[in-house]
Amino acid sequence: MVSRILIANRGEIALRILRACRTLGIEAVVAYSEADRASLPTLLADEAICIGPADARRSYLSAPAVISAALVTGCDAIHPGYGFLSEDDAFADAVRAHGLTFIGPPSQVLERFASKEEVRRLLAAHGLPTIPGSGLLGDEAQALEEAGRVGYPVLVKPSAGGGGKGMRMVRSARELAAILPICRSEARAAFGDDSLYLERWLEDNRHVEVQVAVDHYGQGVHLWERDCSVQRRHQKILEESPSPAMTPAGRRELAERAVRAVVAAGYENVGTLEFLVDADGNAYFIEINCRIQVEHPVTEMLTGIDLVATQIRIAAGEPLGFTQADVHQDGHAIEFRINAEDPAHDFRPGAGTIERLNTPGGPGVRFDSHAYSGYDVPPYYDSLLGKLIVWAPTREVAIARGKAALAELVVEGVTTNIALHRALLEAEPFLEGRFTTNLLDRVGAAAFLAAAERG
Amino acid sequence: MPDQQRPSDRTASQRAADHAGIDRLADALVPALVAKLGTASLGEVEIREGDWHVRVRRPAGAGARRDRPHRAALPIVAPSGASSPAQAAAPGNPTGPRQEAALSPTVGMFKPGVLAGTRVRSGDRIATVDLLGIALDVVAPFDGVVLEVYPQAGDGVEYGEEIALVQADAPTADGAEEG
Repeated sequence: MVSRILIANRGEIALRILRACRTLGIEAVVAYSEADRASLPTLLADEAICIGPADARRSYLSAPAVISAALVTGCDAIHPGYGFLSEDDAFADAVRAHGLTFIGPPSQVLERFASKEEVRRLLAAHGLPTIPGSGLLGDEAQALEEAGRVGYPVLVKPSAGGGGKGMRMVRSARELAAILPICRSEARAAFGDDSLYLERWLEDNRHVEVQVAVDHYGQGVHLWERDCSVQRRHQKILEESPSPAMTPAGRRELAERAVRAVVAAGYENVGTLEFLVDADGNAYFIEINCRIQVEHPVTEMLTGIDLVATQIRIAAGEPLGFTQADVHQDGHAIEFRINAEDPAHDFRPGAGTIERLNTPGGPGVRFDSHAYSGYDVPPYYDSLLGKLIVWAPTREVAIARGKAALAELVVEGVTTNIALHRALLEAEPFLEGRFTTNLLDRVGAAAFLAAAERG
Repeated sequence: MPDQQRPSDRTASQRAADHAGIDRLADALVPALVAKLGTASLGEVEIREGDWHVRVRRPAGAGARRDRPHRAALPIVAPSGASSPAQAAAPGNPTGPRQEAALSPTVGMFKPGVLAGTRVRSGDRIATVDLLGIALDVVAPFDGVVLEVYPQAGDGVEYGEEIALVQADAPTADGAEEG
């Protein structure tokens, strides 16, 4: 049983978890760094405890500090949110060893699903199509041989990576040979592991992911898909569902295959399977995320299911409590990530005081954010200020509601990407549902902003 | 805790008046507030009287903090608008020698070291905080005397929490003009 949870994260997701705890009647303690002393989750929590300085390595990434905070505040569980320690199997194991519940997959499940390369093999064996790729790369000669077999262009990917960090696309053997040592040192610096593998590069692809939830007793459901094709440098900025890239039959088949495969492979708790979908509608599995994701509200708006509450209940050992037949996909939802960054200047991240904040409302509008008027955006963490999510019966109305909500949203004092979202909602590739993952980088944010200004 | 303040810069007569006020509040008001907190669905009750406010916060749950004498479980009494101890201890403080709190280096369980009244040198261990079995030192910020140690053995303390108040040795000839 879980009655008091330590939230070991910050920003909007800490607040989102706090809200789920309140809904479930669970007490919530927020663990915060010195830089987040005045953030909304810290102020609203049942109790808040400072676990370290602004430097995340000594606070949000410090497993001993987080576990110690849970023990001294009398918590019986830890929710890691996303990022930081959320998919660290050694952390999950240490949490369990201290008699606490880790809100997420059990450590042995995290361990089994930790290596992307091994997971692709595991889930391919359970029926998921994968992009032609290599095993872990050895020396240069072996890497070149593998690349020749996979076929150029290829993407060099760190096995321990995430969030698009450290990935490079190369078009020839000469480029590959030059970039390999750089990729290795980057991967070692970023993830402490320099294992690399290759994947065929799909030129114009969509990013479609399937949300799943599997309980401790092997009962699993999918909660349909999300389309996250609007990206800049492999970072998602806008997500929607249903995916405009897929037919109803194609979506259903992909989602059903995904949940069958992860249940068979022994996955547990909420998770997301990411796929690339090529121009012909073929889906290839790329990786699984063993955590709650930033874009989970898109699914919550469509299904009415509280994913964070589901995650907590599964971790507490409760049965799922609903079946696939209970999971409806009603209407259309779009999420806009509101980042403190300047799309007109290379997405340069910003910090400073939010002088004024006006949040939008109205039917089908949700705004998840830890920000408030007078809030100081610290410079130490990611640039996510909040998420605007809109729902409507159809995609057209959802876009109209998105425009209305973005027009109401005012953030003064800190530069944001709100103008880019407005521009995207005017852009033909988006309106026609044919945005691909490389489009924003290829065309450039400035071009979208300028086109929107010309009207 | 950011909302806990210790009036360390007051004169003896001010302190006597303060203590009388605190006693009045503790005898008359606090039991009533605690009773109210027990029946209402409130997490926290605060009242003001004169220069003082009293805040009573419900202990958020089981665990080490339930027994904490100086934090969430018990009333926190502080003079309105009193400066924080760190500010009160500024070198320019005209009322006496410099005072500063020794801070917890981590989040964990408090283990006492020296007693109040002990002379310490800068960097000396005053107490330790246990981080999952690793004892980390709470150190004296400068040469002086430990005036007070706030937590009790076994209390949970957070990173940066004030653990002990240290008063610097009498100012040297150089520092005298500051005082």
